[in-house]
Amino acid sequence: MANRRVLVKRRDAVRNIRKITRTMQLIATARFQAAHTRANASRPYSEKLAEVVSDLAAAAEGIDHPLMRQPEEIDRSALVVISSSRGLCGSFNTNVLKVATNHLDGQEKEGIQTDVYMARKKGIAYFDFLKREIAQELVEIGDMPEFGEIEPIASALMDRFIRGEIASAHVAYTRFISSGRQEAEVVQLLPLARHEPAEGESKRAVDYEFSPDPKELLEELLPTTVRLRLFQAFSDAAISEQIARMVAMKAATDAAEDKIKLLSREYNRARQTAITMELLDIVGGATALA
Amino acid sequence: MAEQIFQLSVITPDRSILEAEASFCAFPAHDGEIGIRAHRAPLLVKLGTGWLRAQTTEGDHRLLVDGGFAQMVGNQLSVLTEFAQRSDEIDSARAQENLAAVEAMPTADEIQFAARQRALARARAALKAG
Repeated sequence: MANRRVLVKRRDAVRNIRKITRTMQLIATARFQAAHTRANASRPYSEKLAEVVSDLAAAAEGIDHPLMRQPEEIDRSALVVISSSRGLCGSFNTNVLKVATNHLDGQEKEGIQTDVYMARKKGIAYFDFLKREIAQELVEIGDMPEFGEIEPIASALMDRFIRGEIASAHVAYTRFISSGRQEAEVVQLLPLARHEPAEGESKRAVDYEFSPDPKELLEELLPTTVRLRLFQAFSDAAISEQIARMVAMKAATDAAEDKIKLLSREYNRARQTAITMELLDIVGGATALA
Repeated sequence: MAEQIFQLSVITPDRSILEAEASFCAFPAHDGEIGIRAHRAPLLVKLGTGWLRAQTTEGDHRLLVDGGFAQMVGNQLSVLTEFAQRSDEIDSARAQENLAAVEAMPTADEIQFAARQRALARARAALKAG
Protein backbone atom coordinates (compact mmCIF):
# COMPACT_ATOMS: atom_id res chain seq x y z
CA MET A 1 0.00 0.00 0.00
CA ALA A 2 1.22 3.47 -0.92
CA ASN A 3 0.45 4.85 2.52
CA ARG A 4 2.87 2.41 4.14
CA ARG A 5 5.72 3.34 1.86
CA VAL A 6 5.18 7.02 2.66
CA LEU A 7 5.33 6.25 6.36
CA VAL A 8 8.59 4.34 5.97
CA LYS A 9 10.10 7.21 4.03
CA ARG A 10 9.08 9.76 6.61
CA ARG A 11 10.45 7.63 9.42
CA ASP A 12 13.78 7.35 7.63
CA ALA A 13 13.87 11.11 7.15
CA VAL A 14 13.22 11.73 10.85
CA ARG A 15 15.89 9.17 11.73
CA ASN A 16 18.39 11.09 9.64
CA ILE A 17 17.45 14.31 11.34
CA ARG A 18 17.91 12.67 14.71
CA LYS A 19 21.35 11.51 13.69
CA ILE A 20 22.31 15.06 12.74
CA THR A 21 20.90 16.76 15.80
CA ARG A 22 22.51 14.20 18.09
CA THR A 23 25.88 14.81 16.46
CA MET A 24 25.42 18.55 16.80
CA GLN A 25 24.58 18.07 20.45
CA LEU A 26 27.80 16.13 20.98
CA ILE A 27 29.83 18.75 19.15
CA ALA A 28 28.27 21.51 21.23
CA THR A 29 29.12 19.58 24.38
CA ALA A 30 32.76 19.28 23.35
CA ARG A 31 32.92 22.97 22.40
CA PHE A 32 31.28 23.93 25.67
CA GLN A 33 33.95 22.08 27.59
CA ALA A 34 36.70 23.75 25.58
CA ALA A 35 35.17 27.20 26.12
CA HIS A 36 34.76 26.50 29.79
CA THR A 37 38.39 25.47 30.19
CA ARG A 38 39.47 28.62 28.42
CA ALA A 39 37.33 30.78 30.65
CA ASN A 40 38.83 29.10 33.68
CA ALA A 41 42.32 29.71 32.32
CA SER A 42 41.66 33.44 32.36
CA ARG A 43 40.39 33.42 35.92
CA PRO A 44 43.78 33.74 37.69
CA TYR A 45 44.51 36.84 35.67
CA SER A 46 41.24 38.59 36.45
CA GLU A 47 41.43 37.70 40.13
CA LYS A 48 44.96 39.00 40.44
CA LEU A 49 44.06 42.13 38.52
CA ALA A 50 41.13 42.86 40.81
CA GLU A 51 43.43 42.39 43.80
CA VAL A 52 46.02 44.77 42.41
CA VAL A 53 43.38 47.38 41.54
CA SER A 54 41.94 47.30 45.04
CA ASP A 55 45.41 47.52 46.62
CA LEU A 56 46.18 50.47 44.40
CA ALA A 57 42.90 52.23 44.92
CA ALA A 58 43.60 52.10 48.65
CA ALA A 59 46.99 53.68 48.12
CA ALA A 60 45.92 56.33 45.61
CA GLU A 61 43.13 58.28 47.26
CA GLY A 62 40.91 60.50 45.19
CA ILE A 63 41.83 59.30 41.77
CA ASP A 64 40.33 61.10 38.84
CA HIS A 65 40.94 59.17 35.69
CA PRO A 66 39.52 60.12 32.29
CA LEU A 67 38.00 56.64 31.97
CA MET A 68 36.01 57.18 35.16
CA ARG A 69 34.68 60.63 34.42
CA GLN A 70 31.02 60.90 33.62
CA PRO A 71 30.89 63.16 30.60
CA GLU A 72 28.04 65.58 30.05
CA GLU A 73 26.20 66.81 27.02
CA ILE A 74 27.28 64.15 24.61
CA ASP A 75 24.40 62.69 22.62
CA ARG A 76 26.22 59.61 21.43
CA SER A 77 27.07 56.29 22.98
CA ALA A 78 28.30 52.89 21.91
CA LEU A 79 26.98 49.39 22.30
CA VAL A 80 28.83 46.18 21.58
CA VAL A 81 26.46 43.32 20.82
CA ILE A 82 27.67 39.74 20.91
CA SER A 83 25.48 37.33 18.95
CA SER A 84 26.49 34.05 17.34
CA SER A 85 27.73 33.20 13.88
CA ARG A 86 25.63 30.06 13.62
CA GLY A 87 22.01 29.33 14.33
CA LEU A 88 20.33 26.28 15.81
CA CYS A 89 21.02 27.48 19.32
CA GLY A 90 17.53 28.03 20.62
CA SER A 91 16.69 31.47 21.91
CA PHE A 92 20.33 32.50 22.41
CA ASN A 93 20.31 35.19 19.72
CA THR A 94 16.71 36.23 20.31
CA ASN A 95 17.42 36.97 23.96
CA VAL A 96 20.61 38.91 23.51
CA LEU A 97 19.24 40.89 20.58
CA LYS A 98 16.11 41.71 22.56
CA VAL A 99 18.06 43.23 25.45
CA ALA A 100 20.21 45.06 22.91
CA THR A 101 17.25 46.62 21.08
CA ASN A 102 15.59 47.48 24.40
CA HIS A 103 18.75 49.27 25.43
CA LEU A 104 18.90 51.09 22.10
CA ASP A 105 15.28 52.19 22.38
CA GLY A 106 15.91 53.43 25.91
CA GLN A 107 18.91 55.46 24.77
CA GLU A 108 16.92 56.90 21.89
CA LYS A 109 14.20 58.08 24.25
CA GLU A 110 16.82 60.07 26.10
CA GLY A 111 17.90 61.57 22.82
CA ILE A 112 21.14 59.64 22.65
CA GLN A 113 22.33 58.16 19.40
CA THR A 114 24.00 54.80 19.80
CA ASP A 115 26.67 53.33 17.59
CA VAL A 116 26.25 49.58 17.39
CA TYR A 117 29.30 47.36 17.18
CA MET A 118 27.91 44.03 16.11
CA ALA A 119 29.84 40.83 16.55
CA ARG A 120 28.92 37.86 14.36
CA LYS A 121 26.54 37.05 11.56
CA LYS A 122 23.22 36.39 13.21
CA GLY A 123 23.06 39.78 14.86
CA ILE A 124 24.07 41.50 11.65
CA ALA A 125 21.31 39.70 9.75
CA TYR A 126 18.74 40.59 12.38
CA PHE A 127 19.65 44.28 12.40
CA ASP A 128 19.54 44.33 8.61
CA PHE A 129 16.04 42.88 8.83
CA LEU A 130 14.98 45.56 11.34
CA LYS A 131 16.65 48.21 9.18
CA ARG A 132 18.66 49.35 12.17
CA GLU A 133 22.03 50.83 11.66
CA ILE A 134 25.25 49.05 12.53
CA ALA A 135 28.24 51.34 12.97
CA GLN A 136 30.78 48.58 12.68
CA GLU A 137 30.68 44.87 12.04
CA LEU A 138 33.28 43.12 14.13
CA VAL A 139 34.00 40.48 11.55
CA GLU A 140 37.56 39.84 12.63
CA ILE A 141 36.55 38.18 15.88
CA GLY A 142 36.48 34.39 15.85
CA ASP A 143 34.08 32.12 17.70
CA MET A 144 36.51 31.54 20.51
CA PRO A 145 38.35 34.83 20.60
CA GLU A 146 41.71 35.30 22.22
CA PHE A 147 42.59 38.32 24.22
CA GLY A 148 44.60 39.78 21.36
CA GLU A 149 41.51 39.86 19.12
CA ILE A 150 39.41 41.78 21.65
CA GLU A 151 42.05 44.30 22.58
CA PRO A 152 41.75 46.56 19.49
CA ILE A 153 37.99 47.04 19.96
CA ALA A 154 38.34 47.87 23.64
CA SER A 155 41.13 50.29 22.82
CA ALA A 156 39.09 51.93 20.07
CA LEU A 157 36.15 52.40 22.44
CA MET A 158 38.40 53.91 25.11
CA ASP A 159 39.91 56.23 22.54
CA ARG A 160 36.51 57.47 21.47
CA PHE A 161 35.43 57.87 25.07
CA ILE A 162 38.46 59.91 26.05
CA ARG A 163 38.14 62.08 22.98
CA GLY A 164 34.60 62.87 24.10
CA GLU A 165 32.87 61.29 21.11
CA ILE A 166 30.79 58.92 23.18
CA ALA A 167 29.21 59.39 26.59
CA SER A 168 29.20 55.73 27.50
CA ALA A 169 29.90 52.27 26.19
CA HIS A 170 27.87 49.19 26.98
CA VAL A 171 28.07 45.59 25.97
CA ALA A 172 25.11 43.27 25.38
CA TYR A 173 26.04 39.63 25.88
CA THR A 174 24.83 36.44 27.50
CA ARG A 175 26.27 36.03 30.94
CA PHE A 176 27.26 32.56 32.00
CA ILE A 177 26.05 32.09 35.57
CA SER A 178 26.07 28.32 35.76
CA SER A 179 25.63 25.52 33.27
CA GLY A 180 21.93 25.66 34.13
CA ARG A 181 21.55 29.42 33.89
CA GLN A 182 22.62 32.02 31.37
CA GLU A 183 21.18 35.47 31.15
CA ALA A 184 21.29 38.04 28.41
CA GLU A 185 22.22 41.42 29.84
CA VAL A 186 23.62 44.83 29.03
CA VAL A 187 26.48 46.00 31.20
CA GLN A 188 28.29 49.28 31.29
CA LEU A 189 31.88 49.24 30.11
CA LEU A 190 32.56 52.96 30.21
CA PRO A 191 32.75 55.12 32.21
CA LEU A 192 34.36 52.71 34.61
CA ALA A 193 32.53 52.31 37.86
CA ARG A 194 34.54 53.42 40.84
CA HIS A 195 35.95 50.57 42.82
CA GLU A 196 33.98 50.19 46.03
CA PRO A 197 35.44 47.67 48.39
CA ALA A 198 32.79 45.00 48.80
CA GLU A 199 31.45 44.52 52.27
CA GLY A 200 33.34 41.99 54.27
CA GLU A 201 36.35 42.51 52.02
CA SER A 202 39.10 43.09 54.49
CA LYS A 203 41.34 45.93 53.52
CA ARG A 204 44.78 44.48 53.25
CA ALA A 205 47.25 47.13 54.03
CA VAL A 206 50.31 46.06 52.12
CA ASP A 207 53.14 48.51 52.27
CA TYR A 208 54.15 48.35 48.64
CA GLU A 209 57.07 49.89 46.96
CA PHE A 210 55.49 51.50 43.90
CA SER A 211 57.12 52.23 40.62
CA PRO A 212 55.94 54.53 39.10
CA ASP A 213 53.73 56.14 41.75
CA PRO A 214 50.33 54.57 42.53
CA LYS A 215 48.38 57.13 40.57
CA GLU A 216 50.30 56.53 37.39
CA LEU A 217 50.12 52.78 37.90
CA LEU A 218 46.39 52.96 38.28
CA GLU A 219 46.11 54.92 35.10
CA GLU A 220 47.83 52.06 33.36
CA LEU A 221 45.70 49.46 35.06
CA LEU A 222 42.27 50.88 34.32
CA PRO A 223 42.45 50.39 30.55
CA THR A 224 43.51 46.81 31.21
CA THR A 225 40.43 46.36 33.37
CA VAL A 226 38.20 47.59 30.55
CA ARG A 227 39.85 45.28 28.05
CA LEU A 228 39.53 42.35 30.40
CA ARG A 229 35.86 43.05 30.99
CA LEU A 230 35.12 43.04 27.29
CA PHE A 231 37.16 39.87 26.88
CA GLN A 232 35.16 38.21 29.64
CA ALA A 233 31.91 39.23 27.98
CA PHE A 234 33.10 37.48 24.82
CA SER A 235 34.18 34.33 26.60
CA ASP A 236 30.94 34.22 28.61
CA ALA A 237 28.98 34.55 25.38
CA ALA A 238 30.97 31.70 23.83
CA ILE A 239 30.15 29.38 26.71
CA SER A 240 26.49 30.38 26.79
CA GLU A 241 26.13 29.86 23.06
CA GLN A 242 27.38 26.30 23.28
CA ILE A 243 25.09 25.55 26.20
CA ALA A 244 22.12 26.99 24.33
CA ARG A 245 23.00 24.85 21.33
CA MET A 246 23.38 21.76 23.50
CA VAL A 247 19.96 22.29 25.04
CA ALA A 248 18.30 23.06 21.69
CA MET A 249 19.82 20.02 20.02
CA LYS A 250 18.90 17.78 22.94
CA ALA A 251 15.30 18.95 22.60
CA ALA A 252 15.40 18.36 18.84
CA THR A 253 16.80 14.85 19.30
CA ASP A 254 14.13 14.03 21.87
CA ALA A 255 11.39 15.37 19.61
CA ALA A 256 12.74 13.30 16.72
CA GLU A 257 12.69 10.20 18.90
CA ASP A 258 9.04 10.80 19.82
CA LYS A 259 8.20 11.33 16.19
CA ILE A 260 9.91 8.08 15.21
CA LYS A 261 7.91 6.19 17.81
CA LEU A 262 4.71 7.74 16.54
CA LEU A 263 5.50 6.95 12.91
CA SER A 264 6.46 3.37 13.78
CA ARG A 265 3.18 2.87 15.54
CA GLU A 266 1.29 4.31 12.61
CA TYR A 267 3.21 2.12 10.19
CA ASN A 268 2.55 -1.02 12.21
CA ARG A 269 -1.10 -0.22 12.38
CA ALA A 270 -1.29 0.36 8.63
CA ARG A 271 0.55 -2.92 8.05
CA GLN A 272 -1.79 -4.81 10.36
CA THR A 273 -4.82 -3.26 8.68
CA ALA A 274 -3.52 -4.36 5.30
CA ILE A 275 -2.96 -7.91 6.51
CA THR A 276 -6.42 -8.05 8.02
CA MET A 277 -7.90 -6.78 4.78
CA GLU A 278 -6.08 -9.42 2.74
CA LEU A 279 -7.18 -12.17 5.12
CA LEU A 280 -10.76 -10.94 4.89
CA ASP A 281 -10.45 -11.02 1.11
CA ILE A 282 -9.20 -14.59 1.15
CA VAL A 283 -11.74 -15.73 3.68
CA GLY A 284 -14.48 -13.94 1.74
CA GLY A 285 -13.35 -15.59 -1.53
CA ALA A 286 -13.22 -19.03 0.10
CA THR A 287 -16.73 -18.70 1.52
CA ALA A 288 -18.03 -17.59 -1.87
CA LEU A 289 -16.54 -20.71 -3.53
CA ALA A 290 -17.77 -23.10 -0.88
CA MET B 1 72.09 26.27 53.24
CA ALA B 2 69.52 25.45 50.65
CA GLU B 3 68.74 28.24 48.26
CA GLN B 4 65.78 30.35 49.23
CA ILE B 5 62.86 30.11 46.86
CA PHE B 6 59.69 32.04 46.09
CA GLN B 7 56.52 31.37 44.11
CA LEU B 8 56.60 32.74 40.60
CA SER B 9 53.62 32.93 38.29
CA VAL B 10 53.38 34.55 34.89
CA ILE B 11 49.76 35.00 33.84
CA THR B 12 48.10 36.31 30.69
CA PRO B 13 44.35 36.67 30.14
CA ASP B 14 44.41 33.58 27.93
CA ARG B 15 46.43 31.25 30.11
CA SER B 16 48.80 30.80 32.96
CA ILE B 17 52.10 30.59 31.17
CA LEU B 18 54.51 29.80 33.98
CA GLU B 19 53.92 28.56 37.48
CA ALA B 20 57.04 27.58 39.40
CA GLU B 21 59.22 27.88 42.45
CA ALA B 22 62.07 30.16 41.62
CA SER B 23 65.23 31.29 43.28
CA PHE B 24 65.73 34.30 41.05
CA CYS B 25 63.79 36.25 38.47
CA ALA B 26 64.71 39.28 36.44
CA PHE B 27 62.19 41.18 34.32
CA PRO B 28 62.00 44.42 32.35
CA ALA B 29 60.32 47.14 34.36
CA HIS B 30 59.16 50.36 32.73
CA ASP B 31 62.42 52.07 33.69
CA GLY B 32 64.94 49.26 33.56
CA GLU B 33 65.49 45.69 34.61
CA ILE B 34 64.59 44.51 38.10
CA GLY B 35 65.90 41.36 39.72
CA ILE B 36 63.95 39.58 42.44
CA ARG B 37 65.07 37.11 45.05
CA ALA B 38 63.06 35.37 47.73
CA HIS B 39 61.46 37.43 50.49
CA ARG B 40 61.76 40.72 48.71
CA ALA B 41 59.77 43.60 50.20
CA PRO B 42 56.32 44.14 48.62
CA LEU B 43 56.60 45.73 45.23
CA LEU B 44 54.18 46.80 42.53
CA VAL B 45 55.74 47.81 39.28
CA LYS B 46 54.78 48.50 35.69
CA LEU B 47 56.49 46.38 33.07
CA GLY B 48 58.26 47.39 29.93
CA THR B 49 59.10 45.27 26.91
CA GLY B 50 61.75 42.59 26.95
CA TRP B 51 62.85 39.27 28.32
CA LEU B 52 61.94 37.84 31.67
CA ARG B 53 64.51 35.39 32.99
CA ALA B 54 63.78 33.01 35.80
CA GLN B 55 65.84 30.43 37.61
CA THR B 56 63.37 27.88 38.86
CA THR B 57 63.65 24.52 40.51
CA GLU B 58 62.82 22.98 37.11
CA GLY B 59 65.52 24.84 35.26
CA ASP B 60 65.81 28.20 33.60
CA HIS B 61 62.99 29.90 31.74
CA ARG B 62 62.98 32.78 29.32
CA LEU B 63 59.81 34.65 28.37
CA LEU B 64 59.19 37.63 26.18
CA VAL B 65 56.81 40.01 27.92
CA ASP B 66 55.31 43.30 26.79
CA GLY B 67 53.54 45.57 29.21
CA GLY B 68 51.58 44.70 32.30
CA PHE B 69 52.47 44.55 35.96
CA ALA B 70 54.52 42.66 38.46
CA GLN B 71 53.45 42.26 42.02
CA MET B 72 55.68 40.88 44.76
CA VAL B 73 53.88 40.19 47.99
CA GLY B 74 54.18 37.51 50.66
CA ASN B 75 57.07 35.76 48.90
CA GLN B 76 55.03 35.42 45.74
CA LEU B 77 55.83 37.17 42.51
CA SER B 78 52.95 37.51 40.07
CA VAL B 79 53.64 38.86 36.63
CA LEU B 80 50.46 40.01 34.87
CA THR B 81 50.94 40.72 31.23
CA GLU B 82 48.73 40.89 28.19
CA PHE B 83 51.45 39.43 26.06
CA ALA B 84 53.91 36.70 26.98
CA GLN B 85 55.70 34.16 24.85
CA ARG B 86 58.17 31.43 25.72
CA SER B 87 61.53 31.59 24.03
CA ASP B 88 60.92 28.22 22.32
CA GLU B 89 57.66 29.52 20.84
CA ILE B 90 59.46 32.23 18.95
CA ASP B 91 60.65 31.43 15.48
CA SER B 92 63.42 33.76 14.42
CA ALA B 93 62.49 33.76 10.72
CA ARG B 94 58.91 34.69 11.59
CA ALA B 95 60.16 37.32 14.00
CA GLN B 96 62.27 38.83 11.23
CA GLU B 97 59.27 38.93 8.89
CA ASN B 98 57.22 40.47 11.65
CA LEU B 99 59.79 43.20 12.18
CA ALA B 100 59.70 44.04 8.47
CA ALA B 101 55.90 44.22 8.60
CA VAL B 102 56.00 46.43 11.64
CA GLU B 103 58.54 48.74 10.07
CA ALA B 104 56.13 49.23 7.18
CA MET B 105 53.35 50.39 9.50
CA PRO B 106 51.97 53.84 8.67
CA THR B 107 52.91 56.79 10.85
CA ALA B 108 50.42 59.35 9.65
CA ASP B 109 49.36 60.61 13.05
CA GLU B 110 50.42 60.41 16.67
CA ILE B 111 48.27 57.39 17.51
CA GLN B 112 49.65 55.40 14.61
CA PHE B 113 53.15 56.47 15.50
CA ALA B 114 52.73 55.34 19.11
CA ALA B 115 51.28 52.01 17.97
CA ARG B 116 54.20 51.52 15.62
CA GLN B 117 56.75 52.33 18.31
CA ARG B 118 55.18 49.80 20.63
CA ALA B 119 55.02 47.08 18.00
CA LEU B 120 58.57 47.89 17.00
CA ALA B 121 59.86 47.49 20.54
CA ARG B 122 58.15 44.10 20.78
CA ALA B 123 59.35 42.92 17.40
CA ARG B 124 62.94 43.95 18.15
CA ALA B 125 62.87 42.29 21.56
CA ALA B 126 61.62 39.08 19.94
CA LEU B 127 64.68 39.05 17.71
CA LYS B 128 67.05 39.61 20.59
CA ALA B 129 66.86 36.00 21.62
CA GLY B 130 69.48 36.75 24.16
